[in-house]
Amino acid sequence: MDWMITALQGGMASLASYLAAHVLLCLVPAFFIAGALSALVPQQSIIRFLGPDASKWVSYPAAAGAGSLLAVCSCTIQPLFAGIYKKGAGLGPAVTFLFFAPAANILALAYTGVALGADFAIARIVLALSFGIGIGMIMAALYREGDVARLADVETFAAGGGIPGRTLLFLGALVALLIAGTLKLDFLTAGLLHVEMPWSGAAAVQAGLDQLVPVNEAAGAEGLSLQGLILIGLLGAISVFAWKGLGQVDNGFNRLTPVALALTALTLAFAALGMRVTDTGVLLTVTGRTLAVSALCLAIWPLARRFDGWDVQQWLWETWRFVKQIFPLLVVGVFLVGIIRVFIQPEWIRSIAGANTVLANMAGVVFGVFMYFPTLVEVPIAKMFLSLGMHPGPLIAYLMADPELSLQSILITAAIIGKLKAWTYVGLVALFSTLAGLTYGAWVDGTSLLILAPGVIGFVALIVTSLHLIERGRQATRKE
Amino acid sequence: MLIKILGSGCAKCNRLEQLTREAVAELGIEASFEHVTEMDKIMAYPIMTTPALVVDEKVKVSGRMPSKDELLGWLKAG
Repeated sequence: MDWMITALQGGMASLASYLAAHVLLCLVPAFFIAGALSALVPQQSIIRFLGPDASKWVSYPAAAGAGSLLAVCSCTIQPLFAGIYKKGAGLGPAVTFLFFAPAANILALAYTGVALGADFAIARIVLALSFGIGIGMIMAALYREGDVARLADVETFAAGGGIPGRTLLFLGALVALLIAGTLKLDFLTAGLLHVEMPWSGAAAVQAGLDQLVPVNEAAGAEGLSLQGLILIGLLGAISVFAWKGLGQVDNGFNRLTPVALALTALTLAFAALGMRVTDTGVLLTVTGRTLAVSALCLAIWPLARRFDGWDVQQWLWETWRFVKQIFPLLVVGVFLVGIIRVFIQPEWIRSIAGANTVLANMAGVVFGVFMYFPTLVEVPIAKMFLSLGMHPGPLIAYLMADPELSLQSILITAAIIGKLKAWTYVGLVALFSTLAGLTYGAWVDGTSLLILAPGVIGFVALIVTSLHLIERGRQATRKE
Repeated sequence: MLIKILGSGCAKCNRLEQLTREAVAELGIEASFEHVTEMDKIMAYPIMTTPALVVDEKVKVSGRMPSKDELLGWLKAG
């Protein structure tokens, strides 16, 4: 029986730390940003750069931009990929788009940053961007001959307007909220005002929580704080009100909409508050973060009012749809990861991937290819590996390979671009993910950035120039 | 009137179909619906993003959800 209790406690601990203040401060704004990107950014504003005549200096960055801005929803990824490949800028940018999208969407990035640290998030985006463009260019060069017969229809890429200023401002405010809630800067974490609330029962409640979900720093379990318990309660309340308030908002705002939104803002502000249980009561600390988060929550209101009612409804509906689609999977995934964590011996992980070797990085990639986890669950899994002693290098290799390559995504890709190209792509992703892991691992191990950065930049530059030259050579021979 | 909804069957596509059906019912017009899910057929239209609404083979909207007024306008004109 003991092992069952330990396993369940592992699951609860994992879930408690997932629902803790810092994760909420990152994920809640990230969901609203994803909703805004999906509902408010006109897709034509980026698609117009992906036409068949776009030069590759424009189309590759635009493909990466589409990957991070438009591809928050799986409804968008497949048609956009097929569209870029069949009608637009061609195989190369389509592949860049496909590679970059899962690593650079706002939800994955924000969650990686909070769960694993900002350096992992930055490494993920930088490596995904440079290698995504690299893989795209290699694919384009390899299959140049078969890539000429594309439907040219101008209408698809008609120049729409850019992204309106109010949308940019609105997105900026939401991103600022995300950053204010998560960054560990001195002026955000410094306590400005302490309030002691006398409550004799607080210590007893905390003791009970500690027994239910023990703190285990070695295993990375943070335990469940009183603040965490209140936050879980608030989340429960939000989900009750949001079910109707946000879920049916596309039929018009209803009475529960403002309630759900006000509760969300309150939850964020409360999550940004410092709270510690003392012997005599509860010590509340108002920090710079509390003020910044509260102020930004208030600032979003007038910014949202500048949109049409319909746009705001779409934004909230999309946001809620993302929450409904991803949140339950994450909760279950995080709970299961916590249980599995109990049964994996750190020695196993350390012996396979404890050091930054080629073999260890390949192991990370292979695990990523054969395991399919729903969106974002790769992050808690990575966190588990990290706490079990996996080296950061192989971890990045895994993080790059897992969302890019799953059997399902390989099959979809094969249906659109053909089996041969799809498997070439898979091979390249596996190769580049291993390289990415090795690079990041070397950096963590202390190899100077002065050596690594020119290495990576030089490697990408080498690909770009050689492909550029090959293409010019081809054009020259064609003219003769 | 032939109304086609293009989309791989995601939540947004189903929502668009539902909204369009409501608008058709409100106007009381005759229309047949088709939900196109095959990527090849979708790509035959000049669009890059789903969901998309096609009325009598003309693309009315793609990649976003139209408001009810927009829908009513297209269906009346079509």
